[in-house]
Amino acid sequence: MPVGEMGAFLLFLMIVFLFGNLWFHFIETILRQIKKLFTRHKNSSWHPLPPDKED
Amino acid sequence: MGFFSKLFKGPEIDMEKSNANAKKMRALFNQVVEDGDEYRLIFGYTEDVSRFNYGFVHGSKTKIGNLIVGWNEAGQTIVVVPTVPDLSGCGDPAYYRRSEILKACRNKYPTDAFLIYPDKKGYIGINAYDWLEDEKLYVYVSQDDELAAFTDFFMNHFATK
Repeated sequence: MPVGEMGAFLLFLMIVFLFGNLWFHFIETILRQIKKLFTRHKNSSWHPLPPDKED
Repeated sequence: MGFFSKLFKGPEIDMEKSNANAKKMRALFNQVVEDGDEYRLIFGYTEDVSRFNYGFVHGSKTKIGNLIVGWNEAGQTIVVVPTVPDLSGCGDPAYYRRSEILKACRNKYPTDAFLIYPDKKGYIGINAYDWLEDEKLYVYVSQDDELAAFTDFFMNHFATK
């Protein structure tokens, strides 16, 4: 296979990879927004680490 | 020789960092659990694996949840407190008393985990190791003795037949 064709094939694979990643994050964002709409805010509290005990 | 012996020795544990994190774990645990000093502590984590199929893109996602796990041998109680790898804070504790739970057992496959079924609706799987190097995902703490003690407690005093 000539070098040019190999390069074109690798470029094609890279484009598929990048588009796949973009598609994944796009769908994930949409699903997250939908979940936010239907999930009620739970009353769970978060307790930060006491500052005097950090050192 | 020195270089190769170092190379083959593998990663070394930063005990200073580990001890500092153990102190933070204790501070967080005692903050949210009454009589926290009566519990011994270990770091554990949960794994939530889910599969996805977004058309031509499909695979699996793993979510890791860090936990401070406390156990009281006399009270036969395990307390689980959710936290984050940098131990900047923690959530509310969940209590699992042996007299109140449905079932507890150790799972070997697919991962070595301590399973607690509080009721028929759900369960918690606690994974624990003596040390995990990846600080971005897990709490950096060395806990050989604690892991051995927790395993002994779970298998001999907490697991149900």
